[in-house]
Amino acid sequence: MQLDWLLQPLLTQLNTGVLVLDAQYRVVFFNQFIARRADVDLAKVQGNLLEDVFADLPLAWLRRKLDSVLHLQVPAFSSWEQRQYIIKLAHLRPLSSDSQYMAQNCSMLPLTAPDGVSRYICLLIEDATDAYVYQQQLQQSVIQLEHANRTDGLTGVYNRRYWQQQLGYEIQRAGRYQHPLSLLLFDLDKFKDLNDQYGHQGGDFVLVELSRLIGSLLRDTDLFGRYGGEEFGIILPETGMTGALQVANRICDTVARHKMLYNQQTLKATISIGVACYFAQSVDELIQRADTALYCAKRQGRNRAVAYQPELEGYLKKVK
Amino acid sequence: MTELHFTDVQRDCLQELVNVAMGQASDKLARYLGTFVHLQVPAIALVEAALLSQHFASRYQQQSATLVSLGFFGDQGLRGETIMLYQLANVGVIAQLLGYSDDAVSEAEMLTDISSVLTTTFLSGLAEQLENSFSYAAPRILSSRDQYFADKLAYTAEQWQLALQVDIRYQLTDYSFNCDMILLIPGEAVLRLRQTLDNILADF
Repeated sequence: MQLDWLLQPLLTQLNTGVLVLDAQYRVVFFNQFIARRADVDLAKVQGNLLEDVFADLPLAWLRRKLDSVLHLQVPAFSSWEQRQYIIKLAHLRPLSSDSQYMAQNCSMLPLTAPDGVSRYICLLIEDATDAYVYQQQLQQSVIQLEHANRTDGLTGVYNRRYWQQQLGYEIQRAGRYQHPLSLLLFDLDKFKDLNDQYGHQGGDFVLVELSRLIGSLLRDTDLFGRYGGEEFGIILPETGMTGALQVANRICDTVARHKMLYNQQTLKATISIGVACYFAQSVDELIQRADTALYCAKRQGRNRAVAYQPELEGYLKKVK
Repeated sequence: MTELHFTDVQRDCLQELVNVAMGQASDKLARYLGTFVHLQVPAIALVEAALLSQHFASRYQQQSATLVSLGFFGDQGLRGETIMLYQLANVGVIAQLLGYSDDAVSEAEMLTDISSVLTTTFLSGLAEQLENSFSYAAPRILSSRDQYFADKLAYTAEQWQLALQVDIRYQLTDYSFNCDMILLIPGEAVLRLRQTLDNILADF
């Protein structure tokens, strides 16, 4: 059976771009797949140099690939993951893809004419836009998941698990490089009263509002997390006791002066802060010290910051 | 289970074909790279695929090995996968020769390009010796810059029965570049390969 008639309709309807170049990289042939997507007419450009037919080609890169195909007579490949596209071609996913051009997998194959002498190169171009789009979506989802996995759902600060993990890393770093590190633990004063008076939604509103306010007072390198309920922690890298107390007092004052509007009512809240400095303790010990200082701040009348000192342990025992 | 062993005569024949293919490859590469390329007579060994990873794990101990895979298909059911194994530190030499130093190309692309040039140049010569021709799948990186290459090699090798291990040492005029190439061939393709070798031997 004579099958030659098959070639033309197959090349025309093939869902793969076929582009043939001669040894001088002049365009010999391309199929309809390429003609329609690049909006070029083969009859008008046949015999022209590749770079004169298709704009903005990565020429140096492409020549190196084509040279190897021609001289070694072996195929070369290009993946969309490494080079998203070679020829600027339109694709059929203009809405779902953030790229204007078709992502392409390309095989470059050596061809020899029936005369046994003339060398050609065939470029097979496959549309990988779907794979590209899925990968973009996947990456986006991974970023969102990573964010959700370390964030407290209500306040948007770090959740306890992530925050405490970071405290571990910061302690290691401070220990290794002999850098200062401080920890603030704070608690909303009389939060139960707030909840009783304004309902839990009112209480939540205050937590969100104060988290935002306190977050705005911190440096980018400080790590702000929700420890639980109305208790929060702030890790201050590269900060000794003097600096940490300054930060703590500024936070205390700013919160006390801050007026919040909830259901046409003006709300005010205060916080108490315990401050502890890293001095070769474990994560748990450091948190314990900040907690002791926080307890003392409450005992001393709230709305204040107290620095941890070993004497506070005795004070703690007395009041217990 | 099918007996996959080669007789001594078959093995010698294969070694000879590999030598010729390697000679052709070095000639082509030398002309292409514009530098003298010396390819030592490669030592071939037929090993059980399952034992491969142990062998290479000890050989590339504590080094960052790069593994790039490239599949090939020929006529008469001859098919397989080649794996190029080399140290990342060696890549710079050949990359420079291939002209990669002048522009920004991702490391991944450089690795796949180097591997595909080296393997397909050899394989197309071998196919010719076997009176066959191969088509190739795009190369893909199995492992790079991590310490799990032995696991990944074991996983890949698991899917094949026989491995033809070809130790290649490329030496260029001013540089030396060592790498290993492994041809992984499934059982039925081994039978085809043996048949082809017998045919070639019968012609002598």
